[in-house]
Amino acid sequence: MPVRPPRRAEGRNTDAPDAATRRRPGPPPLARRTPAGAPGTPRRAGWLPLLGALRKSILPFALLLAVWWALPAALHLNATVLPSPLAAARAAGPLLAEGILPDYATASLKRIALGGGFGILLGVPVGLVLGSNRFLSVAFTPFLKFFQALSGIAWLPMALVWFGFTEKTIQVVILYTAFFPIVFNTMTGLRTVPPRLADALRTLGAGRPRLIKDVWLPGALPSIIVGIRLGVAYGWRALIAGEMVVGAGGIGFLLFQSRSFQQTARIIDGMVVIGLLWIFLDAGFLRPLERYTIERWGMVQR
Amino acid sequence: MKRAEAWLGALPFAALVAAWWFASHSGHFSAGSMPTPESVVAAARDLASQGVLQADIFASLGRLVVGAFVSIVLGVGLGILAGLNRYVGDLLLPLAAFFSAVSGIAWIPLAIMWFGLGTVAVTFVIWNSIFFLVFFNTVLGVRSVPRIMEQAIRTLGGGHRVLVLQVFLPGALPYIVSGIRTGLGFGWRALVAAELIAATSGLGFLIFDASRFFRSDQILVGIGTIGILWVIMDNVLLTPLERHTVKRWGTVVEP
Amino acid sequence: MPAAAKIRVTGLCHHYRMDDGRQLLALDDVSFEVAEGELMTVVGPSGCGKSTLIHIIAGLVRPGSGELRVDGQRVRGPGSDRGVVFQELAILPWRTVRRNIGHGLEIARIPRAERERIVDHYVELVGLHGFEDRYPHELSGGMKQRVAVARTLAADPKVILMDEPFAAVDAQTRITLQEELLRISVVTKKTILFVTHSVDEAVFLGDRVMILTRRPGRVKESVPVPLPRRERSWDTVTRDARFLTVRDHVLQSVRAEVTDADAGPASAARGGAEHGRA
Repeated sequence: MPVRPPRRAEGRNTDAPDAATRRRPGPPPLARRTPAGAPGTPRRAGWLPLLGALRKSILPFALLLAVWWALPAALHLNATVLPSPLAAARAAGPLLAEGILPDYATASLKRIALGGGFGILLGVPVGLVLGSNRFLSVAFTPFLKFFQALSGIAWLPMALVWFGFTEKTIQVVILYTAFFPIVFNTMTGLRTVPPRLADALRTLGAGRPRLIKDVWLPGALPSIIVGIRLGVAYGWRALIAGEMVVGAGGIGFLLFQSRSFQQTARIIDGMVVIGLLWIFLDAGFLRPLERYTIERWGMVQR
Repeated sequence: MKRAEAWLGALPFAALVAAWWFASHSGHFSAGSMPTPESVVAAARDLASQGVLQADIFASLGRLVVGAFVSIVLGVGLGILAGLNRYVGDLLLPLAAFFSAVSGIAWIPLAIMWFGLGTVAVTFVIWNSIFFLVFFNTVLGVRSVPRIMEQAIRTLGGGHRVLVLQVFLPGALPYIVSGIRTGLGFGWRALVAAELIAATSGLGFLIFDASRFFRSDQILVGIGTIGILWVIMDNVLLTPLERHTVKRWGTVVEP
Repeated sequence: MPAAAKIRVTGLCHHYRMDDGRQLLALDDVSFEVAEGELMTVVGPSGCGKSTLIHIIAGLVRPGSGELRVDGQRVRGPGSDRGVVFQELAILPWRTVRRNIGHGLEIARIPRAERERIVDHYVELVGLHGFEDRYPHELSGGMKQRVAVARTLAADPKVILMDEPFAAVDAQTRITLQEELLRISVVTKKTILFVTHSVDEAVFLGDRVMILTRRPGRVKESVPVPLPRRERSWDTVTRDARFLTVRDHVLQSVRAEVTDADAGPASAARGGAEHGRA
């Protein structure tokens, strides 16, 4: 997600800071490997931008709804192929009222929280250990890259053989999927802390524990967070796929089951919920985490 | 140094295979839950001799190629449009953002409803996973081209076509390539998931079918193939692509 | 009575191992002394080993051979007695100006109240008042270097080593920083060893200018600058005959090293062996 680069102020050497010479913002924001959230819009003072923001976010979706409305009629599609927006909305009623949607949504969220949480708990320490040693990090880089690319979804059949169509299968797949990006990014984050920073602190008398606390960990933190973001993103997708296959509740299962009963309206509702849930996860947790560290410290992840 | 690094990089793999060999021969695990390395190799040879493995590889790759191709053409095309025109961009970006959030994988049931099981559904899911990312990155890329370049070419008399082809497209290329690379990563994952659920051929189907008969040796053949194919794709296709276009021009966007 | 040597370097030799296994002699029998309270600048052509020299004295690199004493003590590794200001960014991006400056004090476990007091003092000294709670990325290059200098000063080291600290800032800022360094050095009376590429900077700042030969670096000569530091400013020195004479001399001397490098075999013979000594 693009980061708005901070402004810099030029100061004189005596009195009050002089903000007269303001440099242009730095290089353009870098593309990220993470799924995109809504792009940022430039801010101006006042409530006018609020109106503008509303227009920008509501108008596209209103247009989408309009197209959606017109499409079935124009193409003579029956309700099973593409129900009208109204039908989809109506289908949402019983889903909510009977508690199906909240139950399934919470089940999915719980799973990603658990899988993601354990991924962090295991991945970060392993990544730190590997990153602290040059040989280890060189040796494990291809290994980690390989298993990161080999998504947990591919391991689903193996997990089915081992654990059957159970909760455990889903958990294992999520954990695996989240684990590798976290380890890899933690490891590389540690290795990319400029050695100069540690040198400087050594000349201030810092010993090893101090270096770990003040240099290595904070230095690796942006990468760790990117790893977490990636791990949760991949894990979320693996979760949906896993739920579709295993059938033990969850939003993915809702989609799959609805398809079995040809309830297209429910499928669409489920998909919308998936989108909203991801936006909630990303904007509610992952991005603030990133913002608190990376943007505050002005370090754009490369 | 490079060669030493390569050898070093092989160590964890070797260790893993060794551990696997010992574990599978220890008698602690049944053949169903942990097949021996030899049995996996045998299964691979078996599947290959029947032509099943090749057929599945072709099916999967074919779907990926088609899905990726359509995604890239549409994504870059629309992306340039949206990047150049603020209104179109403002209209499409939020939609693209939302559809990105609804991951390609979530489209699987709907795709089955629309296209039934098979190649079309899988390809559609792949397209979904790649298109929005490429689109998004293209828009970012086009918008990141410094105004000064556009202005310079305009003052040289360049019209719209020249601008697009010679300023914006190359300028946005780092982002586009990065988007393609990431998109293919998502696409490959979605491919496996979609084939697990919605196909009757392909590598994803291979491993899922094998799991129904508890043929873990075949599962591992499939998983190994999936991993190796990606490594080949990344090293033979994507990295050189990035190197030839982006790094050569000194505008790398490190993933 | 001459001031006691704060830094004494005797017979320092150092070589690098290259990727292909060859040894490259970087410093060859370097010996010199820096007196207490003196500001000595080191200048020489690229590759003459001046950065290496700083790193060795800082204790970040172990020399091949030779003796190195600071305040009579042998140097055995980095320590808070020798503060260093590097050329690149070496302040922590995740700490505010205030917390960066106070970092040495934090490491030395100085209690908080006193730490704050000292930090405030140095913030004023380097002219960063009002920016204490900013993060480095919000500062310009010149300001970041001021933070680095303040951090080093606040830790109150015995000597300060500076490795081309102003090379990465723009010309205007550089001039300002140079004059400030002079002012600060006069006020704090610290012993400073300052390495630079720029002859002008070396002569402007130093009580003495040490010139190194091209690789392998040897001490070519040590040129005193006969202007008291407290009287120097860029407006005045460029009209001062003493300054100009010294500067021309140093410039010629350094130039000779550079052109010798471009000349043929004669200079190679003069330059000595490129391979390691026993």
